[in-house]
Amino acid sequence: MEAAPGRRPLPLISSVQRQPWGAIIAFLLPAFTIYTAFTAYPVVRTLWNSFHTVLPKNEEFVGLDNYAALAQDEIFRRAVGNTFIWACASPLAEISIALLLALALFAKIPGMRFFRVAWFTPVLMSYVVVGIIWVWIYNYDWGAANAILRALGLERWVQAWIGNPKIALPSLILVTTWMWTGFNMVVLLAALHSLPSEVIEAAELDNCGWGAKLWHIIIPLVKPTLLNLLVLSFIGKMKIFDLVWITTKGGPLWSTETASTYTYKRAFEWTTFDLGYPSTIAAVWFVIVLAAVLALTWLFRQRDRLEY
Amino acid sequence: MRILRIVFSLLLLAFVSSATAQVKLTMWSHWAAEKIKRDFVEDSIKRFEAANPGVKIEAQWYEKTALYAALKTSLRAGTAPDIFYAEPDQTEYMDNGLLLDLSSLNWPAIEPWAKEIWSYKGKPYGLPLEASTVEIYYNKKLMADLGINVPASMQLDSAAVLDLSKKSRSKSMTPMALGVGDRPFPGAYLVQEALLKKLGTADYDNLLKGKLSWSDPRVMDTLRLIRSWTDAGLLPTTFTTLKLGEAHTYFHTNPGAVMFVNGSWYTSRAFNPPDKGGQPANFPLGIMKFPAIPGAACNECRTLSVGGSYVANAATKHPKEALAFLNSLATPDTANRWLENVLVQTGIKADYAKVGGPYAGYFRELQATSQGSKYYFGLPFQVMQGKPKEVFTQVFNNAFPAGSISVDEAVKQMNAAYGK
Repeated sequence: MEAAPGRRPLPLISSVQRQPWGAIIAFLLPAFTIYTAFTAYPVVRTLWNSFHTVLPKNEEFVGLDNYAALAQDEIFRRAVGNTFIWACASPLAEISIALLLALALFAKIPGMRFFRVAWFTPVLMSYVVVGIIWVWIYNYDWGAANAILRALGLERWVQAWIGNPKIALPSLILVTTWMWTGFNMVVLLAALHSLPSEVIEAAELDNCGWGAKLWHIIIPLVKPTLLNLLVLSFIGKMKIFDLVWITTKGGPLWSTETASTYTYKRAFEWTTFDLGYPSTIAAVWFVIVLAAVLALTWLFRQRDRLEY
Repeated sequence: MRILRIVFSLLLLAFVSSATAQVKLTMWSHWAAEKIKRDFVEDSIKRFEAANPGVKIEAQWYEKTALYAALKTSLRAGTAPDIFYAEPDQTEYMDNGLLLDLSSLNWPAIEPWAKEIWSYKGKPYGLPLEASTVEIYYNKKLMADLGINVPASMQLDSAAVLDLSKKSRSKSMTPMALGVGDRPFPGAYLVQEALLKKLGTADYDNLLKGKLSWSDPRVMDTLRLIRSWTDAGLLPTTFTTLKLGEAHTYFHTNPGAVMFVNGSWYTSRAFNPPDKGGQPANFPLGIMKFPAIPGAACNECRTLSVGGSYVANAATKHPKEALAFLNSLATPDTANRWLENVLVQTGIKADYAKVGGPYAGYFRELQATSQGSKYYFGLPFQVMQGKPKEVFTQVFNNAFPAGSISVDEAVKQMNAAYGK
């Protein structure tokens, strides 16, 4: 049969036969094995466990009992609330400050090389180191925070920053903001440097001031970067564990308890070997995080559509 | 023929080497940072190995939280050591059949109350090496500077505690060192000992087991009393984040406090050399009883708890050797060595009069605080389980002594934890 004019002739051997399956399998198998063993299996196993009581020598199906107990668990509700506050407040603070810092560097302020390194440095430290440093900073007697307040004559504001249930969570949110602002700043600085110079120059020719330039040109142009950073930061805070564990272990009075610390406590600190209930917390939390990320993504897409 | 000789020699060598093969026991223990206890256990291992040339014990040292997390994983995976450190509140080990029944241990050498604490559903599971009482240590010099005399009964009353707090604060001193930054129990010492005295052992037990409401007027009165002490500035301002080890240093070295409420295992850290976190040489250490509580049912009541113990893994391949090692510790000689070196009580029967060495005087003073005492066995967090334990820890180890929660709110939280 002859091929139609203007069209490529049909292959004599089907595409299926032509695929180098040996090579494909050889390349995919290691990654697939690792993914299955260390990601897919643990997820499936966690879901399975959530319907069971999982003891060292005994596994018993309990249906939805764990989920019913979780629905009544006040500490879990507290942990969810704290984590959401953290995951919503922290990205906004981090990215707003990061944008201001990136703009300052973009405008080539004096000492910009020093500031770029100084502002980025906290992100190079592990949460363990950061936690220890901030426990010192927040120390009531000799910590830097209270020392500065005393030096300024603001004795009334001196606090047990992570010992007071009312301000422990905001105090820890400040720590993550301090830690991650530098990372967001560097990403935003890269985005600013990649902006089309002709658009900014055109705005300057039109006598557009800094505020108007920022609001009408720069922010819309770096918006995809901002949204990506928001989602990344949100996901990071929804998983926060290390900092809380080092500083407060979820206390005082569960004021800094997060979903992750509570899961760990139920798995390893409560006097039980049962992994079923902690798995239920993990499964529910996985669904909540997934739903939140999907909702954020959907929301941002809707706004994009509205703008265009 | 030559080949036959070689094969025969090899078989003989294999037989001889298998006959003389050593049994290797693995052991995981807390006390990585507590040199005195670690030295004692390592010395005991050496003595056991010398007496049992066919057995070798390989010990690994941890801090408690890391040890517990490692054990939870390894016991489940079947890779746990033959012998490990445990405390009697860890009933999950017994519940899941993970510990070897120690009925054949040399129990006549062990205090009956210690055996009782380690018994679960009629079977004993742990060798109660360490026992402790809650003590109030004080700096004799600072106490004298404040003009406060500890009476011959070694017990202040609650008004004296209030007075001491106010006098200390007026001289910019901290009345009592205490820190809960890394432990779930020290902050509750004040509340637990006061409640035990006020209620007596039976009602105190009922309270911890949810059979007595936390709204009971005696409980409320006691909590208000403790609150009056903490409101007067009894505890360090850094109380919520101060770690246990740091609280020791806070008391005896920097910045210094008048008193320190702690388990009688204070010595295992404080009697190290000063450069290893111990108290300064010639530190004027005193001990007194917990203050008397007004209207108390039992002012002579106090908590006695079994702490560091050793248990054997139910899945060990060498139960006979593991038991032999634990038995080597269950002797009066071991108990006396423990007392003399570690200076902490033990659940093994010991002759307290025989304790000598440089700290013999300290031990006599410690004994004096126990004269005429009636004991309740176990700390609240060892008696409680599940949600009440978690709520008690959050409320009474931390928030209540820190003044972050009112008496009414604390009572409400505890009643809710018991479903009341």
